[in-house]
Amino acid sequence: MSTAVRETEHLQEVHVETPPVTRMISAVLALGGVLLSAYMLLYKLGIIPALACGAGGCDAVQSSPYAAFLGIPVPLLGVVGYGAIFGLAIAGVQPRFMNDRRVALALLATCAVAAVFTLYLNYLEAFVILAWCRWCIVSAVIVTALFLLSLAEIPRLRRSAA
Amino acid sequence: MAQSKRQKPGKGPNLKPFYTALVIVAVAGIVWIVYAYTTGGGAAVVDPIELTGMDDPQALVSAARGVTAGDSDAPVQVLVFSDFTCPACRGFTSLMEQRIKQEYVEPGIIRYVYYDFPLGGQAQHRHSFIAARAARCAEDQGMFWEYHDLLFGRQGDWALSRTPPLDNLVEYAGLIGGLNVETFEQCLRSEQHADVVTANRMLGDQLGVNGTPTVFIGQRSFPQFNNWEAFKEAVRLEMPAGAMPGAADTTAGTGNP
Repeated sequence: MSTAVRETEHLQEVHVETPPVTRMISAVLALGGVLLSAYMLLYKLGIIPALACGAGGCDAVQSSPYAAFLGIPVPLLGVVGYGAIFGLAIAGVQPRFMNDRRVALALLATCAVAAVFTLYLNYLEAFVILAWCRWCIVSAVIVTALFLLSLAEIPRLRRSAA
Repeated sequence: MAQSKRQKPGKGPNLKPFYTALVIVAVAGIVWIVYAYTTGGGAAVVDPIELTGMDDPQALVSAARGVTAGDSDAPVQVLVFSDFTCPACRGFTSLMEQRIKQEYVEPGIIRYVYYDFPLGGQAQHRHSFIAARAARCAEDQGMFWEYHDLLFGRQGDWALSRTPPLDNLVEYAGLIGGLNVETFEQCLRSEQHADVVTANRMLGDQLGVNGTPTVFIGQRSFPQFNNWEAFKEAVRLEMPAGAMPGAADTTAGTGNP
């Protein structure tokens, strides 16, 4: 009798996919990035009086002409960019989109663009503005981690193409 | 990488740790932003603060405090209301103040008292309050005049900064030998001395100061602040009959008017 029950249970088992851990970590990191960018943006808008920046060069960086890109404040680009990555990562852990090729592609592309833009900003800080902002460095670390995590999308794209 | 697991129907993957991490990050971030908004995030006070009880002239005089140079028994007292962002004040400092110190303060003829009069506003004087506070932070370590000279000397580098030039202010502190920059920065990134600087401004308002620099020689306002000959004459008239100034003590100190 007990053997029969066990066999019945076994037949009722179904496949449940665990969402990719890389996407979960990406979502957490991107949310941190959204909040970090929002903090910088509120400072830029004058709502927060000053950044907690230690002896860093936040003021020099934030007041430089490079604090805006094509007329858009860089922290606003950060909110939008991190927000997009967060949205894609959250979508990517939902069963409906877990194996969606478009999500994987968008996540990889967005993280790659963010990494290139961050490299550009770091170049400006190192060689043009000659000042480093600690929050910009934190953001650079987050973007680097997001980019590395997004590389896990490549094998998924290959599998879905096969 | 997505993993397939065989589970019983109705039991999805355990995403609780994931959502918990999201909530922790969200709450921590929002708390940090609210803290930064409400307190400045441990940031510098860059505007005058509200002081109560300043309607009483005695209370105002007690709250205000100038930085003095010279002999406290000097026969003539010169008060200067000044703003570190003001170009005319920079001119006065380089043309007149150095000479006043050499020819009158050091020989003990004049007691020279510097008062903050932060002009404020949104234009070229928007950083006057934080600069005045920074100088007071340097004064805590006995370096007011050295810092005062640096602020005026480099006025063009920081006064027009779009955001509060905290980095510049800390950098200048580092140029003064013997000044503990860490202590200075802690002071700067706080509300220390906001009360004194605010009171000094209010005192200037009470005395009819409506621009900077405003110089008082004794009790009288001296409008020709860049005219050395007129200054000498005004000091001569202010000298008590038979005053014989002795050797001067030029150490910086503090005092009330």
